[in-house]
Amino acid sequence: MKESFKRIFNVGWTNFKRNSYLSMGTTGVMVLVLFLFSGLMSLSYLTSQVVSGLEQKVDVSVYFKTDASEREITQVKSDLQSLGTVKSVEYVSKDQALSEFKARHAGDTLVQDSLAELSDNPLQSSLNIKANESSQYASIVTFLEGNKFRSLVDKINFYENEQVIKRVLAISGGLRNWGFLFTMALMMIAVLVTFNTVRLTIYSQKQEIEIMRLVGGSNWHIKAPYLVEGGLYGVLAAGIVSVIFYPAIFFISPKVESLMPGVSLISYFVSNIFQFIPLIFFIGILLGVTSSFVAIRRFLKI
Amino acid sequence: MIELKEVTTIYDGDESIEILNGVNLHIKDGEFVSIIGPAGAGKSTLLRLLTREISPFKGEIILDGIDLAKIPSKAIPLLRRKIGTVYQDFKLLSAKTAFENVAFAMEVCGADKGEIDSDVPKILGIVGLGDKLKSFPHQLSGGEKQRLAIARALIHRPRIILADEPTGNLDLVNTYDVVKLLMKINELGTTVILATHNREVVNTIGKRVISMEKGKIVRDQVENGKYVI
Repeated sequence: MKESFKRIFNVGWTNFKRNSYLSMGTTGVMVLVLFLFSGLMSLSYLTSQVVSGLEQKVDVSVYFKTDASEREITQVKSDLQSLGTVKSVEYVSKDQALSEFKARHAGDTLVQDSLAELSDNPLQSSLNIKANESSQYASIVTFLEGNKFRSLVDKINFYENEQVIKRVLAISGGLRNWGFLFTMALMMIAVLVTFNTVRLTIYSQKQEIEIMRLVGGSNWHIKAPYLVEGGLYGVLAAGIVSVIFYPAIFFISPKVESLMPGVSLISYFVSNIFQFIPLIFFIGILLGVTSSFVAIRRFLKI
Repeated sequence: MIELKEVTTIYDGDESIEILNGVNLHIKDGEFVSIIGPAGAGKSTLLRLLTREISPFKGEIILDGIDLAKIPSKAIPLLRRKIGTVYQDFKLLSAKTAFENVAFAMEVCGADKGEIDSDVPKILGIVGLGDKLKSFPHQLSGGEKQRLAIARALIHRPRIILADEPTGNLDLVNTYDVVKLLMKINELGTTVILATHNREVVNTIGKRVISMEKGKIVRDQVENGKYVI
């Protein structure tokens, strides 16, 4: 059995070496397919970063009336925190709000002079709420409306931002769904191209396959080396992609980061290197072997 | 022992086009049979029936007691391993060396590496290709290619050799060499069935000659047969 596998592998490897032009062509196509896959993975990562970035910007602020005490506001805060849907609640006291406001408008003398004229702090204490998911804001606001301290609340800015939040949800959902469909469609096209290339390679061997059958080769004897050959195309293609992809990402990553601060492609792919490279090899081999298998069926009439 | 009983074959499923028409034939073990006839007589079709490249439309083909028409598809490779075949266009694997072409025939029979490494050079030596083990078919002359094909046909010691116009692409000298080889193989006990339209070859061999015409056997010269149409 072991000798049989050894023989099959040797024959497949010999065929691979001898059909060098065809091998190069088929490997080239598979390199493109695997590059496409890697590119789509990068795009998927960037998309998810954009989406989560958008979602993080969405929040709800609850402004309290000036007569609301800190104890009461703290109570509302802990009520919110006990909800499973709330990720974080930040309390901004009116003093803190005022100092932040002054700092933001430090260069604006009109604002500074106006503030100096006022005897009281015109700003309100607020709770800044972030939900676990954007779709949960509506239920959080409903909870607030029914809360026993509702009378202390002056304004909930959810209603003003509701349209924006809905649009963000729609965009992120759309990006996820359409992104997935687009990826699947491109991969299907790429697989078909690979399949046809391998089929052409095996078609050129049609006469050889027929001769092997006439000499008494069983389907397995004839098929197995071609499956190995297909797998070898995948291995070589995956090797080429692995060697080129990381340097390419190294060069592209700073450019992407300049457009999207905080998003580092190179960090993502380096941190996942032990998953990414085996995945590329796995897909390459699977693509090669499957294409060979389907292509040769036609000539062996299985 | 090979026996054909009322064998009829048709072309491409069209019952109106009969290639063989009610052929009856009996070939004993160890015979040398030449099958002659004009183009389209059905010589090649007869040989193709014996390797189950085609199935008969009607009739029986008995080989060592088994009706070839009734064997399942997965038994066909096993049948072909018992029969050595030689063709006019050699049918060599162009991407394999002479050694590998012959070794392939042994590999499909399940021979191990030791046996292959021992037997293949021997058989290539016998057919005069001892120094061409690593040559590819395109590096061999026509005569050498046919001798390689014969070596491949012989390597698993078949009891039957089928040769379909083996000298069709060869010059006189190579033709003579191939015929001599086939006769020698027959002397060692292998049944040889040779389809040819080469008059000189048939007359040189001087053994059983079956004449075919339009899908029927029209003459059977059991001994000292001559090329007569």
